[in-house]
This record gives sequence, structure tokens and C-alpha cells, in this order.
Amino acid sequence: MAIHEKLRAAVDGQRGLAAADSLCEACVTLFSIDAAAISLIFAGVTSGTLGSSGAIARMYDELQFTFGEGPCLDSVAQRTPVLVADLANANDVRWPAYGPAMLEHQVRGIFAIPVVLAGEYVGALDLFRTKPGELHADHLAGAIVAAELAGIPLLDLMDSDLQAAVNDPDSSAWAELNALSRTEVSQATGMLVAQLGVEPAEALVRLRAHAYATNRSATEVARDILDRRLRLDAD
Amino acid sequence: MQFDKEGNVTDTPRETRVLDAVVSLVDKLLDDFDVVDLLTELTERCADLLDIAAAGFLLADPLGQLRLLAATSTQTRELELFQLQADEGPCVECYATGEPVSVADLGAATSRWPRFVPAALEAGVASVHAVPMRAAGIVLGSLGLFGTRTGELSEADLLVGQTLAHIACVAILQEHPPTPSTVIPQLRSALTHRVVVEQAKGFLRERLDISVDEAFSLLRRYARVHSDHLTDVARQLMTEPSSRPALLERMAGLAHD
Repeated sequence: MAIHEKLRAAVDGQRGLAAADSLCEACVTLFSIDAAAISLIFAGVTSGTLGSSGAIARMYDELQFTFGEGPCLDSVAQRTPVLVADLANANDVRWPAYGPAMLEHQVRGIFAIPVVLAGEYVGALDLFRTKPGELHADHLAGAIVAAELAGIPLLDLMDSDLQAAVNDPDSSAWAELNALSRTEVSQATGMLVAQLGVEPAEALVRLRAHAYATNRSATEVARDILDRRLRLDAD
Repeated sequence: MQFDKEGNVTDTPRETRVLDAVVSLVDKLLDDFDVVDLLTELTERCADLLDIAAAGFLLADPLGQLRLLAATSTQTRELELFQLQADEGPCVECYATGEPVSVADLGAATSRWPRFVPAALEAGVASVHAVPMRAAGIVLGSLGLFGTRTGELSEADLLVGQTLAHIACVAILQEHPPTPSTVIPQLRSALTHRVVVEQAKGFLRERLDISVDEAFSLLRRYARVHSDHLTDVARQLMTEPSSRPALLERMAGLAHD
């Protein structure tokens, strides 16, 4: 089974935090790393851990918010993966506080891949390894797939009406990602931003919740919004 | 057909027009450019040089699913065809094999792609061709070409299509020399740009009461006039609520010019 098949299998049939944790556990199994966590950054300051492969991963992840620096913050700010093959490299002084703290925990390699939702860079998948060295190209490609898949549990958590999503445990995260990436859905998301005065990720959550509630596809709902046949209420 | 200084009709050979296009596009690559904007222009050049109705770039996302990055048309019907192409049809086949796929008479290919062909015929498409986009030994996606007449692409046509597809690859990968590790994050980044541009079209459709088509032209024009990147303008509109009123006012002004 290809890596991305295994990642999909890890999250399909699960929702919310459980899916995020499974995704992190799958990363540890698949990518020759020791810990994985998905953390979110809101408005560049407040943060939270969406999922982790365990208590240690969560602690590694949260340390960067204690110090106010680290791979997740950089990866969101720069909108690109941050790949550090060896924290012990003396020429690398990007994290004067977080770097030494992680070395004390015997962590040498750190790799962060941004998590993107509705075009917004909202967080990162952080991978930690005790052995130094580059991440294998296949594993990096796999980690990017995992970061894409992380968008679905995130949408679940942002949706206050989780019930609809939970009622359909067979729904596939993969199919949903494809459905939500359609042109009409992005355009309708933009219209909702204008109509409801919310941010794009929140607008996408509202569109998706309406599709679930009315048992229609996200594309159908998006077309109705674009053609002004449907207007969602402001909260 | 063109007119010379005396007003006489002259036929510019296609070779010259192709070179003109390549030189102009490569010039842009050597300067600061916007990837969605440049690829949209590439599709327009394609349609013009190959005498076809529509062209679009489909790029593979990290999960291997094709997504539309840029197209000549923003008409719903044609967009739908490009999106159907993401699931089945010549572009998927071209992406899977890495080889060009040419369907001279779409009417005879219904059994091959039972969903795509009827939709394409319905939209007046008679022939479809797909040219691979590749770098670092991997296939990035494909360039899809829709014709309203039946017929093969000539070898010269194919070469022109392949050249423009190569330029598109360079545009996407230009920041770093391509390796599999750098290619995939960049594809993802280009697709994210597209999402934000689509959102901005919807936003302007609502605020300025224009079509998504007009919204796209307005965004591109605004970016040109202000020497800004199309995707930066779109991102600013979508993620910086505080700068929206001023931005909208300037865009509304431009729309009325």
C-alpha cells in the first residue's frame, strides 16, 4: 500500500480530534520519525494542539509556544515547509531558545509542513526525530499529504454542529478534500466572506455545514450561493 | 492576419508569432512575475497559436488528484469540463502516462470516457488534446486543449503546445532547482494561490455585483495598474479585513473606468 493510502486509511471513518491523533500516529509509523503533532496558530499569537502521536509530541509542540519561536510559527509565517536536518548544527541559530531546549530532549531533526485551510495558513504538522539527517523525499511527500488531510479534522472542530459530520462516519476525507477544492466552492467561500463578514476558513465551515444539513454536495450549495439562489444567515 | 505600416494586409507566419509569444513569456519569467497570472496568459497564447477554443493547465495536488490552475475561459460550462477532466478524460490519461494524448474525434470516444465525452460534446467540443507537464522526472500535470472542430494536432502544433507547457513548468518551479522534495511543496503553494484568487472573485462578485468573470479581469487589471501580484492582491483582499474598504474603493473606481 502506498504511503498516502495508509494515511487515508488512518483517518477515514474517524472525525475531529481522534482523526488528528490517528494521522500523527500514522506519521510516526510511516516516516522514520519519533513524534508528530499538529498545532494551530490563530492570528499569529494564540495556539493549540489539534492532534499528537502522544504526550511527548504534545510537549515538544507546546514548548515552541512557551518560547514564542519554533518550526510551526516559522512555517506559517513563511508559508513553506521548514526542514531542519540537525538542530546541533552550530551554524543554525534560528531558534536561540527552542533549539537548545529540544536538544536537551535529544531531538535532532525537526520538520514542519504548513496546514492550509481555505487558502489560509492556519498551522503546521510538526515531525520530530532523535537521529539527525534529511527527511527522505518520499517521507516529505507523505508528510505533505498528511498536512493536507489534517484540514478535515480541523474543519470538523470548527463546525459547531459536529453532529452532521459524526453521523456519516463512512465519509472519506480524501473525497471531501477534493469536493472542497473545487473552483465553485472557493468562489462561493469568497462570497460568504463578503456576506457574513467572517474569515475564509469560517466561511468554508459554514458552506460545508449547510451541505451536510441539507444532504447536498458542497458544489451544489456553492452554485446556489454564486447564482444568488441561496443566502446563508449571519449568526 | 495583421496590417503593415501602409495598411496592407500581411500574414505573419505562425513561426514568428510563436517566437513572439515565447520571447515575451520568457522575458516575464526573468522578471518578477505572478504564477496564476502568467499561466492564464499562457493558456490564452495557446488558444491563439493553436487555433483552439479553450486551454487549461491541470496540476496534480499532493494526493495525485488533478486540479485546475489556470484556463482561458471562466465560463461555468467550460470550467466544468476542465473539472470533469480532473476525474476522467485525456488529461488524466496524459498525467498517468506522461505522454501526449490526442483525440481527433471526440464523438467516437464515448465508451472510453462515459462521463466526460457527453458533457464535452454538449458544450460544442469536437476534439481534445493533452500535453504533459514534467520536471525532475515526475509528471506535474497536463495542459488540456479543447477544439470545436475534429482533427489531429499536427506535429508542429504539438511542439508549440509542449513548449508552452515547458514554460509553465519553469514558471511554477522557478524559485528553486527542481527535486522531488522542492517540486511538491511548490505545486501545493501554486494551488493554494488559486484557491485564494477564486475566493477573491466570489468576494468581488458579492461586493461589486459583477460576474466572477468580470471579477477576475478586474483583479488582473488592478494588479497590473498597481504593479502588484494578482495573488498578493487576492490574498490581501481575503485575509486583511482592515485594508478591504480602501482596496474595494480603488477597484470599484477601476471597474468604472
